[in-house]
Amino acid sequence: MSSVLSVDGVTKTFGGLVAVDSLSLTVEPGEALGILGPNGAGKTALINMVSGFYRPTAGTIRLFDREITDLSLHQIGRLGIARTFQNIRLFRRMTVLENVMTANPRYTRKPLRAFFGFGGRRHDIDEAMALVEFMGLADRADRIAGSLPYGDARRLEMARALATGPRLLLLDEPGAGMNEEETERLIADIHKCRERLAAIVLIEHDMTMIRKIADRVVAMNYGRKMAEGRPTEVLSHPEVKRAYLGTTEGELV
Amino acid sequence: MSLDLALFTGINILLAWSVYLILLTGTLSFANGAFMALGAYVSGVLTAKFGIGYMPAMAMAAAASAVIGVLTGYPALRTRGIYLILVTLAITFFVQTAIENTKFVGGVQGMGGMMGTSFEIVYGSVIVVGALIWLLSRSPLQRVLDAVREDEHVAGAIGINVVYVRLALFGIGAALAAYAGGLYAHHMFFVAPDHFTIIVSVFIVLYVIMGGVNNMWGSVVGAVILTVLPEAIRFIGEWRQGVFGLLIVILLLFRRDGILPFRSVTARSGRKADA
Amino acid sequence: MLAEQVINGLVLGSMYALIAIGYSLVFGVLDKLTFAHSEIFMFGGYVGVLTVALGVPIWWAIPLAIVVAGIQGLITELVSFRKFNTPDGHITAALSSFAAGIVLIDVTQKFWGSDPKDLGIPNTIYTASTELFGLQIVYIKLAILIVTLLIMIALQILIARTRMGRNIRAVAESSTTASLLGIDVKRVTQQTFFIASALAGIAGLMLAMRGGFADPNVGLSFGLKALAIMAIGGMGDVRGAMIGGILIGVLEGLAFQYGLGKLSEVLVWVLMIVVLLVRPNGLFGRSVNRELRA
Repeated sequence: MSSVLSVDGVTKTFGGLVAVDSLSLTVEPGEALGILGPNGAGKTALINMVSGFYRPTAGTIRLFDREITDLSLHQIGRLGIARTFQNIRLFRRMTVLENVMTANPRYTRKPLRAFFGFGGRRHDIDEAMALVEFMGLADRADRIAGSLPYGDARRLEMARALATGPRLLLLDEPGAGMNEEETERLIADIHKCRERLAAIVLIEHDMTMIRKIADRVVAMNYGRKMAEGRPTEVLSHPEVKRAYLGTTEGELV
Repeated sequence: MSLDLALFTGINILLAWSVYLILLTGTLSFANGAFMALGAYVSGVLTAKFGIGYMPAMAMAAAASAVIGVLTGYPALRTRGIYLILVTLAITFFVQTAIENTKFVGGVQGMGGMMGTSFEIVYGSVIVVGALIWLLSRSPLQRVLDAVREDEHVAGAIGINVVYVRLALFGIGAALAAYAGGLYAHHMFFVAPDHFTIIVSVFIVLYVIMGGVNNMWGSVVGAVILTVLPEAIRFIGEWRQGVFGLLIVILLLFRRDGILPFRSVTARSGRKADA
Repeated sequence: MLAEQVINGLVLGSMYALIAIGYSLVFGVLDKLTFAHSEIFMFGGYVGVLTVALGVPIWWAIPLAIVVAGIQGLITELVSFRKFNTPDGHITAALSSFAAGIVLIDVTQKFWGSDPKDLGIPNTIYTASTELFGLQIVYIKLAILIVTLLIMIALQILIARTRMGRNIRAVAESSTTASLLGIDVKRVTQQTFFIASALAGIAGLMLAMRGGFADPNVGLSFGLKALAIMAIGGMGDVRGAMIGGILIGVLEGLAFQYGLGKLSEVLVWVLMIVVLLVRPNGLFGRSVNRELRA
């Protein structure tokens, strides 16, 4: 079976600055790939290229053998890549339910036909509510998204991503700014999402999350791949420890 | 309220909605005075010079304006924020200058010979357009537009073709402005380029901003107030214009989010909320 | 003839530049557009009318224009900008300032009529000239050029060297950071409005001096053109506004020379669109692409 995602020799430069330097990696079906690296290592730039926010300077990106390198943002979204953002980006003025309903591919793909979409109203609400419930937000479905606490906002962002019917989900530091308890719940939520997806890519600083979620880890620094392998292997890789963590071994394992 | 004023109010409600529709995607258009002029002149020329019937001429004017809207919108919508405001202002200047320099439509002198309009036609149009916008506000399309307006990049990431949606609404708004412009021309029996200055474009936007940008009724309230107010303060006499300006400043100060600021929720879960 | 049109263009361009700098200062500090600016510029001409009517020497009009326009700027800030500080407030502020401009036009027309008003300066002032390098130089144009140039130099010094200028630059960079550093943002905003409006007032006065009359309708034509010039130069960039203004003035002069009179009116808007399509942040604007840094 072909890889869910294959990134091949991808480079991104901003002016003279090299954010990602001929990086290659694959994500296999059923896998959760962790991407690790210090700030400015090019992790977010990589996700931005995969999801279509940036166009790579060089290299190719494939989703299930289909080249998506030069496709536009919405085309990539329609092909089945969904994402969340480091700083949560919700449609803040809409309710929780509306946020999820908005991502319904029936209407995002044919916007002007959505004008005639009254008929499926009850069905649309039920469908979206199923996801809202799945993420444990049913009791606040009618709240304005902008008023949600951090953890709920993150869960809503994931529910909205799932509503597009993706095959690959990209999570950009979902645990940033969460305490231990919230992180535990987030890990459980991500595990729940996995059953609906072909694969997950997780960018994270938090070692606990990487160890509990990722099947395989790619460590980046200066836009390059530093190490790759099972989480315990990569986390104990001397170069990774030196470059990224600057912390003691105890904290690592 | 005189019939004349009632007709202007109806036409201005349509114009306000033409800006409102474009604004649904986050695009603030100061070009609608230009699209109004296009509609006025195209429908005027077709009826007065080519003897084409009233409604076919109006439809053709709206279609022509939609085409020009899409053609000018394509480059214009690449810009954002204040740049977009300036580009749409420029469209208004271009159209006005083009009309002034076209002898066929009378240049600066303007042209006449239109057919007149009626209360039924104007308010029939208001009701039909209003009903369509109301249906829109209840349809899934409303959420697609809200998404584009609120965060176009996230909207793109969930699969919405943002460029297409913004351009489509720009074209629709241009068509509606042209239709209203056609009604205006027929009601006046005469149009001249200085009926469609930049001030007109700014005022149409003002209707929507003063009324409230988050629902279709704000545009109606804004258009009605700003059309009727100058007549209502006619007793002031020669200081009318200044007082009108002052009242606008004061109204904006006291209703900073518009007179009707609410946004209607498009779907409810039907569940009980948490305490 | 050609050289003469270039000089005319320079005179015109220096006035564009003064107005455009004002737009640019306000935009730099507040991120907002002020439509009242073009009417404050218009009123500058009537300060000239007022000065002549008062019977004081005509150069008194310059300090008077600074004070009158500056105060108008402060009022605009108070009624049309201070309260509108939400993200959606940008456009409300712009429209409110537009309405404030309407009030100013109406007041002007009530006092001096809706037709252009003669300044009442002796005509000889417009013919007095000298010949330099085979060029006929009219003194009044020379004087206008010198005054506007001096003011631009003074502004550069003010922005670059003084404490006030430093504060203005700091707020333009980031008002949040500036207020954390203890800068009184409200005061800096007022100062910016005063300076920007004073520049517009002087430009209006100079325009009236050049033609010998003040016109209540110049705001929307001449004044808004300066807005396009600001966009060409780059929003919030004083140097860009300066160069853009002079560039457009000279281009318009040349367009006039080659018989493109009517087109010269839309020339600036065409140029603006071309510039924005090629360089979305203007000729001198820094390219910040914040949005895409997800």
